[in-house]
Amino acid sequence: MAWSQTKTYKLCNSISTGELCSVMKDNGNGRFLSIPLDEENTDYQEYLAWVAEGNTAEAAD
Amino acid sequence: MSTLKVNTILSETPTVNITDGLNVTGVSTVATLNTTNIVNSTQLSNRNLIINGAMQVAQRGTSSTSTGYNSVDRFATSISGTDETPTQAQADVASGTTPYTLGFRKSFKITNGNQTGGAGTSDRVGIEYKIEAQDMANCGWNYLFSSSYITFSYWVKSSVAQNFYVRFKSSDSPSQAYAIETGSLSADTWTKITKTIPGNSNIVFNNDNGEGLSITWEIFRGTSQTGTRPLNAWAASDNATRTPNQTSTWYTTNDATFEITGVQLEVGSVATPFEHRSYADELKRCSRYYQKIAEGNQKAVAFAFNYNTQYGDWVLQYPMGPMRTSPSIDMVQGSDYYHYHGGSQTCNLDGAFIIEQQQNTQANIYFDPDASLTAGGTGYIKTHNASAYFAISAEL
Repeated sequence: MAWSQTKTYKLCNSISTGELCSVMKDNGNGRFLSIPLDEENTDYQEYLAWVAEGNTAEAAD
Repeated sequence: MSTLKVNTILSETPTVNITDGLNVTGVSTVATLNTTNIVNSTQLSNRNLIINGAMQVAQRGTSSTSTGYNSVDRFATSISGTDETPTQAQADVASGTTPYTLGFRKSFKITNGNQTGGAGTSDRVGIEYKIEAQDMANCGWNYLFSSSYITFSYWVKSSVAQNFYVRFKSSDSPSQAYAIETGSLSADTWTKITKTIPGNSNIVFNNDNGEGLSITWEIFRGTSQTGTRPLNAWAASDNATRTPNQTSTWYTTNDATFEITGVQLEVGSVATPFEHRSYADELKRCSRYYQKIAEGNQKAVAFAFNYNTQYGDWVLQYPMGPMRTSPSIDMVQGSDYYHYHGGSQTCNLDGAFIIEQQQNTQANIYFDPDASLTAGGTGYIKTHNASAYFAISAEL
C-alpha cells in the first residue's frame, strides 16, 4: 500500500504485537527515516525534543 | 655532579656511545633515530581519535545542500538562518599543494551561499565532529589534570583571509568548552593548525556510547551565540557565548569556501605526523555510525518472507557489523521505487520500510507492498529507481 504521511513524524505499530514500535520522519525531500524507540538513537532524541516542544506525531495506521 | 654546557658534540667515530642512559628535557630534533625500544607518552599506532580525518569516506554522496551528515562520513554541517544554503562536499586536494605531498587526496569543503540578508544574530555555518564519551574516557588522556594534554592538528584553507574559531565541548555534565583560533589565514592557502589542550578537573566523560567530545569549526556564528569567551582555556559551556564575537567577512562573501583535511586528535603534548589509514580501515570505523546498503536502480536490498497477506518482513543483520546503537533506516521513498519478487509475483513498493524489534546488531524490517501476498511465501527486494536509497544510521 502506498505510504501516506501528512506530518513530519508518524507513529508506526509492530506487525507482530500491534504496539508502537518506531517513528517515521519525513525529511520533506523524498528522504525518510524509520526511527527505533531507542533513547541512545539521536534521531529518536530529536523526535522526543520535538514532542517536548508541544508537537504531536500523526497517529499510526 | 657537574654541568657541562656545550653547543656541539663531535665524535671521531661515527657514534657517541653513552652506556649509562641519557635524560634529555625538551623537544629534541634527531635526523635519524635507530633504537630497539621507544617509550613515549604518545602511542605509536591508533593515535588518531578522529575517524575519517583524511576525508576519504563519503558513503552518503559527494555533495549536498542539506545540513547535517550528508557527504563526508563522521563530519556534519551545522547551518541555520542562511538565505541560501551552503553546499557541503568531499573535494579533491589539488596536486602540488603541501597537503597533497603529505598524502591527502580529499578534503571536506563548505561553499557558501549568497547571504543577501547579511549576518543575522542567530545565523550560523559550522562543521561538527563528535567523539563517543567512552572513546575519550579510554583514550589514555588523564583529562582531569592540567599537566596532561591532547593535541589537535589539521589543515585548513579559506578563500577569505580571516581568523576562525574552533570550539571543543565536553558533553557530559557539567559541560565544559574550550575555544581556539586559527589566527589570520591567508586566502586560498593551505595552513596547518596545531593546538595542544590541557586537561581540566571539571571535565566529565562517561564510559558510554553517548556524545563525549564535540569539535566545531565555527565558520560563522551570529552575535546571539558569541561574546565573552576565553581562548585557550576551559570554562563552563554556554550556548550564548560559544566563541568571542566573529567577523562576518566569510559569511557575507557569496561562494566563499572553507576546507579542512588531515584532522588529528591525539593524546600527548606533541603533534605527530598524521596517522594515514587505509580506505578499508576508515570505512570499517565509519560503519559503527553509518552503513549504506543499496543505492541506485536494480540493486539488491534483502531476502524477505511474507509475514501475512499484507506485510513482508525480514531480519536485517547490519552487514558491516554492530553499530553504536539501534540505527534508524535512512531511505528514499517514491512511487514504485522498489520491487518485491516472489515466485510468479512481483509487487511494487514505495519504500516505507519500518524498523522494529531492533538492537545494535540486527532488526526486523517490515513493509506493505501494493498487492496482496501469499502468507509464508518468500521473495527478494531490489531497487527499481535510480533515486532509490537504503542505509542505516546510528550517528552521534
